[in-house]
Amino acid sequence: MSITLDQITKHYQGTPVVNDVSIDIGDGEFFVLLGPSGSGKSTLLRAIAGLTGVDHGRISLHGRDVTHLSARARGVGLVFQNYALFRHMTVADNIEFALRVRRVKAAERRRRRAELLRLVALPGMDDRLPAQLSGGQQQRVAVARALAHEPEVLLLDEPFGALDAKIREELRRTIRQVQRELGITTILVTHDQEEAFALADRIGVMNLGRLLEVGRPENLYARPATRFVATFLGAANLLLARQTAAGTLLGSTPVIAPAVSPPARDHEVVAVLRPEEIELAPAREALASNWLGAGSVEQLLYGGATERMRIRLAEAQAGRVVSAENPQQPAMLEVTRTEHERRLFPVQPGQTVHLGVRRLHVLATPLSSFTACAPTLEEAQELSRQPWLTELATRMKTRVGVRAGSNNPAAATGAPAADAAACLGVAVISATTQAHATIPNLLQQGAEAVLLLPPGALPPSRVLIHWAGEDARRATLAVSASLLRHVAAEAVYVGTQPDGHAPDGTRRPGGLRALLDARSEARSMHGLEMRTEFGSGDAATELTRRLESAPGQLLVLGICDPADLEGRFAALLAQTHSAVLVVQSTVRDA
Amino acid sequence: MATVAARRSFLQPSVLPGFGLTFGFTTFFLSAIVLLPLVALVLKAGSMNPHDFVRVALSARALASYRLSFGAALLAAGINLVFGFIVAWSLVRYDFPGRKLIDALIDLPFALPTAVSGIALTTVFAQNGWIGRYLALAGIKVAYTWIGVVIALVLIGMPFMVRTVQPALAEVQRELEDAAEILGAGRFHTFRRIILPTVLPAMLTGFAMAFARAVGEYGSVIFIAGNLPLKTEITPLLIVIRLDEFDVPGAAALGFVMLVFSFLGLLAINLLQAWGRRRMVARR
Repeated sequence: MSITLDQITKHYQGTPVVNDVSIDIGDGEFFVLLGPSGSGKSTLLRAIAGLTGVDHGRISLHGRDVTHLSARARGVGLVFQNYALFRHMTVADNIEFALRVRRVKAAERRRRRAELLRLVALPGMDDRLPAQLSGGQQQRVAVARALAHEPEVLLLDEPFGALDAKIREELRRTIRQVQRELGITTILVTHDQEEAFALADRIGVMNLGRLLEVGRPENLYARPATRFVATFLGAANLLLARQTAAGTLLGSTPVIAPAVSPPARDHEVVAVLRPEEIELAPAREALASNWLGAGSVEQLLYGGATERMRIRLAEAQAGRVVSAENPQQPAMLEVTRTEHERRLFPVQPGQTVHLGVRRLHVLATPLSSFTACAPTLEEAQELSRQPWLTELATRMKTRVGVRAGSNNPAAATGAPAADAAACLGVAVISATTQAHATIPNLLQQGAEAVLLLPPGALPPSRVLIHWAGEDARRATLAVSASLLRHVAAEAVYVGTQPDGHAPDGTRRPGGLRALLDARSEARSMHGLEMRTEFGSGDAATELTRRLESAPGQLLVLGICDPADLEGRFAALLAQTHSAVLVVQSTVRDA
Repeated sequence: MATVAARRSFLQPSVLPGFGLTFGFTTFFLSAIVLLPLVALVLKAGSMNPHDFVRVALSARALASYRLSFGAALLAAGINLVFGFIVAWSLVRYDFPGRKLIDALIDLPFALPTAVSGIALTTVFAQNGWIGRYLALAGIKVAYTWIGVVIALVLIGMPFMVRTVQPALAEVQRELEDAAEILGAGRFHTFRRIILPTVLPAMLTGFAMAFARAVGEYGSVIFIAGNLPLKTEITPLLIVIRLDEFDVPGAAALGFVMLVFSFLGLLAINLLQAWGRRRMVARR
């Protein structure tokens, strides 16, 4: 491996800007770190270059641990967004800077300079000053300068950011060519997915300091695992679908054939529908693919090779679409068609069309949507407007529904809710003394998890993870990982060593072994790195103590048996001022 | 077309109205305040007969005062070049408690009546003053010697230096230093090859301003200098003495000499700056 990052963490004023990032980058690979601004990608690059220290973790270049080496000693080349050329020096002096520092002989310097200028396609520019060159030419000089001392690794920090489109493309080609010719391991940081696709052997997508997914561009595009990657890499329509024994349903229409192992009970999932995978036809019968619904064309943008439009689905279907921009509004579907398709079936704004789904990708995330549940509609609406919840929903690009009605066990038992209500996603309830009774009931009604949200709960900077019983491990980890992709917080597994006998009389065998298994499962299946902290005594008491100790914490609590909530954790749930997300070991895994 | 373009080249089209008015005001203002008085000075000096002029301008007392005025000003500006840079550097680069306060203190010599600075310096550096007492033990006499003159001029010139270098230093991108470090340069190398060349023009400007201010300084110097003819008497003071004697042509002659020297000095610095810019561009 050329570059190995192992659990890199960097805090800035208490919040993690780079959060447990581990990557292996192979020899000669062109790796692109992609993410929005503030995702920590530039900080990570600076850490690799040695310009920023890390709080935790190790960095190795070609098997050599450089974590504590200065930038001078690391032997990397770095290209900055704003060129950072030495303006008082000529092109020649800029390029030779690293060689002069190393006291390379003049003749050798000249030879190397000529070679580099040829490589970046700027021959004969030796005596110009940076100010006499165009932006693209300056960046070429910067690339040549970064390569002068034959670094083992080339790092590029948004190198095309300050250039216009045409120049950008030219320079992109040059950089790709230089990289191939030298076979140098390269990391490029960018927020531009088109650039990432054009250059990358592999892409790593970052958000909120976490590395969410790594993979070849075509795989990440076709089969993203998270909704962030789905929407950040290209355009995507997110839909709430239902996985049932009859297949994946959008509304009442099955669009995907049943899975090999059908789920034991219906549950809500998030599906990704790429704009180019939608087929348009004048009538349902004319569609070659599965019918999704009918809608009217709201907006039409002609773009040369492709035509883009937004389609508002008919009412019955509209609730299932969540838009990327505004999750609260019944959204419109984004559709792209080729020129060929446009000629076959031209449409006008306002026209009603039928839509078909060619390909739908279902995300693995267990957190699909939120439903605020309260006895009355007003209370439910008020709960759904809690700032932290709306922020989380916006980040997750999902919606917060409301449901009024009695959640108390006495009224709801026996009568399973109607079809639509069966898919709650994550049920949100406000803190109540009845929580221990309400939660199992909601879980039974089909909620994936229940979020107990006391009024005034702060956005968490620490997420505590605990499961009572190994059967709940898998579900808890999946939910925790999904949640942590959307909040900038550190994950802490809280384990307890029962002193003597736990109150329920059982003693968990092989606690440490189970913990190691859990950590490796979290890492390999969800890319989630957890810190581990141990307490002693009763788990509920220990967790309560930790939650009380500081504000801004959230507990993800996995349970196997709803009875646990009424027994061991009743006090915790009744008293807490922090948010608690309760997950039950899912029946389908059992 | 061509004639229109040619005429237009002087009168650039601009969004700001009233070019004619502002330009006229500028010329009038500069003439009335700067040019005309200088012309009057030259004419006054020129009205003397050459023999008298040489006698006054090149008298032993006058020559000694030139040497002190220009020599001390040059030395003070040189000291400011180094220490002013260091002050500017710490103000720009480090965030320490009281930074704002020190930053504000820099401007104090601008605002203080120069006589007050002179009296304050004399109090501190006189032989029984706080610092002068210990310097006297070491056999160094500051007040009433040329050293005192230099110290007064350093105080007067310091804000000019700091205030010109500060923005230039703030503009040096941290990225340049990062780039140099990645390319393998040590701190000293980075400082000498990257930072210094970038701020050198600003330093020269600061030097020129501090020097110009020091040559013309009067108020603070006369308190600390002691004003012994041939030893610690500066040219501006000599001019005032001539005026007190109602020897206006004599004062004008001395003033003319100062004018010429100041002009030459500033010209030299400007040429140096232009040369420096070109040199930075060419090979090292």
